[in-house]
Amino acid sequence: MKRLTTLAICIALVNSWAGAGLAQTRTTGGQAAPPVTLIRNATILTVSHGTLQNSDLLIRNGKIAQVGQNLRAPDGARTIDATGKFVMPGIIDAHSHSMMDGSVNECTRSVTSMTRTQDILNPNDADLYRELAGGVTSLLLLHGSCNSIGGQSTTVKIKYGRPAADFLFPGAPPGIKFALGENPKRSNFNLPGLQARYPATRMGVEEVIRDAFTRARDYKLRWDEYRADSRSNKNLIPPRRDLELEPLVEILEGKRYVHAHCYRADEILMLIAVADEFGFKIRTFQHVLEGYKVAGEIARHGAGASTFADFWGYKMEAYDAIPYNAAVMTRRGVRVSINSDSDERARRLNIDAAKMVRYGGLSEEEALKLITLNPAWQLGIDERVGSIDVGKDADLAVWTAHPLSVYARVETTFVDGEIFFDRQTDLARRQQLEAERRTLEQAEANRPPAQGGTPPRTPPQIRRANTDHDDVIDGEEDNQR
Amino acid sequence: MRNIKTRLLVALFAAAALGWAAHTAAPAGANAQRPSAGFDTYAITNARVVTVSGPTIERGTVVVRDGLIAAVGAGVAAPPDARAIDGTGLTVYPGLIDASTTLGIPRPTPTPGATPGGGGGGGFAGLFGQSQPSAVSPNSPQLPGLQPELLAADIIRPGGNEVEAARNAGITAAQTAPRGNVFLGQSAVINLAGDTPQGIIVRSPVALYVGLAPIGGGQYPGSLMGVFSAVRQMLLDAQRYREAQEIYERNPRGLRRPDQDKSLAALLPVLARQMPIVMQADRAREVERALDLAREFNVRLVINGGTESWQHAARLKAQDVPVLLSLNFPRRTAAASPDADPDPIRVLRERAEAPKTAGRLAAAGVRFAFQSGGMTTMSDFLSNASRAVEQGLSKDDAVRAMTIRAAEILGVQNQLGSIEVGKIANLTVTRGDLFDRTRRITHVFIDGRPVDLRPAATATGATSASGTWSLSVNLGGTQSESPQFQITLVLQQQGDRLTGSIQGPLGTSQGSGTLAGSDLSFTVPITLPGPGSQTTDAIFNGAITGNEMRGTVQVVGRGPGTFTGSRAGSPTPAPATPPGAQPSTPPGTRQPPPGGQPGQGEPQPRRTPTPATTPPAEQD
Repeated sequence: MKRLTTLAICIALVNSWAGAGLAQTRTTGGQAAPPVTLIRNATILTVSHGTLQNSDLLIRNGKIAQVGQNLRAPDGARTIDATGKFVMPGIIDAHSHSMMDGSVNECTRSVTSMTRTQDILNPNDADLYRELAGGVTSLLLLHGSCNSIGGQSTTVKIKYGRPAADFLFPGAPPGIKFALGENPKRSNFNLPGLQARYPATRMGVEEVIRDAFTRARDYKLRWDEYRADSRSNKNLIPPRRDLELEPLVEILEGKRYVHAHCYRADEILMLIAVADEFGFKIRTFQHVLEGYKVAGEIARHGAGASTFADFWGYKMEAYDAIPYNAAVMTRRGVRVSINSDSDERARRLNIDAAKMVRYGGLSEEEALKLITLNPAWQLGIDERVGSIDVGKDADLAVWTAHPLSVYARVETTFVDGEIFFDRQTDLARRQQLEAERRTLEQAEANRPPAQGGTPPRTPPQIRRANTDHDDVIDGEEDNQR
Repeated sequence: MRNIKTRLLVALFAAAALGWAAHTAAPAGANAQRPSAGFDTYAITNARVVTVSGPTIERGTVVVRDGLIAAVGAGVAAPPDARAIDGTGLTVYPGLIDASTTLGIPRPTPTPGATPGGGGGGGFAGLFGQSQPSAVSPNSPQLPGLQPELLAADIIRPGGNEVEAARNAGITAAQTAPRGNVFLGQSAVINLAGDTPQGIIVRSPVALYVGLAPIGGGQYPGSLMGVFSAVRQMLLDAQRYREAQEIYERNPRGLRRPDQDKSLAALLPVLARQMPIVMQADRAREVERALDLAREFNVRLVINGGTESWQHAARLKAQDVPVLLSLNFPRRTAAASPDADPDPIRVLRERAEAPKTAGRLAAAGVRFAFQSGGMTTMSDFLSNASRAVEQGLSKDDAVRAMTIRAAEILGVQNQLGSIEVGKIANLTVTRGDLFDRTRRITHVFIDGRPVDLRPAATATGATSASGTWSLSVNLGGTQSESPQFQITLVLQQQGDRLTGSIQGPLGTSQGSGTLAGSDLSFTVPITLPGPGSQTTDAIFNGAITGNEMRGTVQVVGRGPGTFTGSRAGSPTPAPATPPGAQPSTPPGTRQPPPGGQPGQGEPQPRRTPTPATTPPAEQD
């Protein structure tokens, strides 16, 4: 009897909170602190320390405040009855090109370390909302793979509906994209009539990287000399600040993470050798479809590997892949993540993780780590997110079933303790949107003109859907532009 | 202010400043077409005068003498030597200002040599949709498109159909900026009547336009991301350039001489906050990016476009950033095709929300001025301002956004923007309130002289390209054979879109293009005759004047060609006329313009207002 009453109260609370969630998702900027939330009676997949049955989770000030049984909700807290549901950490996609305006590639040079994906964020990209609906809460936004050394990456939390500045993951280490093999040597992208760009071979790719770091070392030396000499001599002209070389100096100083797009075992070994020579570390090998061949070397270097579950064969260098790649590398001690490199695949990374139980026999927790704690480490944010531990950010998703099941879907997604996706709210909003559409279609500006009229501005060029696999088709558009 | 800037960019700026001085002081012989003194004094009597600077005078007189406002007030009598205009029932406003245009700036035409080192590649880049910068600064170490030293004042041309269309919409002055890619160049404020580039400039330079269009053609920056990096690097380089020059000037001995760099030098007034940058930003995120960049380098920013700028009103106000708000509101331009998906709700919202921005900016205390945003039908300027008024903007603020606010943002508030004694006599006179849809522009004064207003047919500025044209095409090149071709071009125009086909010795094929004002750009595959004939795209860029068109044609692998053409029959949007239906035109001869069509068929490439011998009559 008592349980029934509690249930009824919970249902009432869920309903009222759904309304609150709606109000929340529609306002932007300058929010008050999110309310205290108690998620009750859930199966909690901590990822770091096993599965907790029939447990509660308290969120306060955007952090996971308490995890345990029979937690008491403070006054004014919203309570979510998660009986029969699963709570897992927000999924982290270590290879994304979502929310970028214009091209993901600056293709004109072989070293474009001066470019920053942070400069072109589009917080209104609807893919972000779909990713929230797939339980994803953080992304590594990478430059494309057009160049041996690409642009600077951005780590974001998906705070859909807020200005771009609110998305930046506070304190996340800066990163950069490298690329090896067919894309930077432009094997598949040379159009007749356009000037071919150096390099054209894997040897050339290595030389470009070696040359860039040699220049970066000289650059650092020039500045060190200037800083030393300018103390005694005020009549010195300072060296030029070079936005191309500054990030490379940061790499040499261990302050910037290298995320290197690669396929073949030989080029992976090449990059490890170059990194060793110049004394820096590769944080992740991206795609790394032949990583299983050199898993020991990757582990010894201390790099992570971010790969696809079962996507291969789309070009020559992707032919030697196996679905056991993630499992083999995991067994050899590599921190492995499964990424999407796709706005579409990003919505169901849980299924990609589940495949790794089937291929290679990873445990359920190991599989979940591929999309939570391991990518968090790869992005340098594992102190903040990636598992359900007290003190970590409340970036969570509530699932209707075990997230490694094909029947699971996301009910609610929290980022910093705030709800950014809720299925019930979404369903309720659809009617409102239809009503709004009917009203808007009556507006003068939305009715077809009788005659003439000024055409609207040409909208800025927008990437078409499904052109975001930087491995498959990047560069084609750029070359044609 | 002007003096400080002039010192910083001595050679370039001095020329422009002189141009302005010559204009106002009018030394003898500076302008041979200056009218005789007898026509230089006008008085508009018994009119409602919206002075903007002070209270509106319900029944007053405005006296204009020697290009300036000589007197204004209720008790002012018309001087005996003045041409008097009975202003009963009329309202006199300060001349309207379009705060951002490309008026008078030539369109880019692909010519080899315009892109140094490009060779034939220049035309090829054009094929890939890359716009080329319209002008190139000699001896700049930067690529075209990254040359902030370019001055609108150096490339501007007076007159033209677009200027006339703006005048017919009541606009008397405009900020105009070069076209281009990243650093477009420095803008000027011009009056929209006058015969010489020197004579029309009110102030130059005004602001540095920063665009976000990748350069393309394989040159860095080739992406939006790269554009931001390139801008950031050049601003950093300019900071160092300033520092290096200072150190070297202090004590050159023992120092390697820093290179001169006119492109970086042109950025120094920007870094010193003496010259603002104007950045195109319509969406909220674009506004956010521009605000971030301005804060990063502590430069003065002006937002251009600004459709969603109200979403960052608090930041705009805090950073004291004004907005040049486009009146080219988005709207549905065609009935939906039955096969098409419905418009996304985001697009529906944007169209419905756009007219509300002005009112929201005003309520938030953000300074803003109106601009035409590249609209092709200039009558939309006032009708869309009326929409903004319907959506919450006060009429007073709306008038200010087209007059004194624009003048203030552009730094010409002592010359333009209100009806005050001593200011430049730019006036817009209407019958009916400016925001009443039934109002008519009855008189426009620019520099104290009345301007001929064209009948409504041309007042819209809508040159029609539709019709069957006989074209004489010279493809250039070095072949000894005669490269002249006579072809027939059939064009259909819808809005600013052109579709059509060619027939003749260059093959039969379909093409498409655009018409902006009277400027046409049309791309169509042609088949070059001769051995090894191949089909390749030809780009026709030119201007339509009445029933004549002329311009250049660019074909891959060939030098620049030219074409001239004339229209057969009257311009109708009907489908292509069968060749037999019209009397055929012998190739190479031009048809006389058909009679009975006012405003059409005049062979002059541009019209300039002729000095009125009598006060212009009201036109209906």
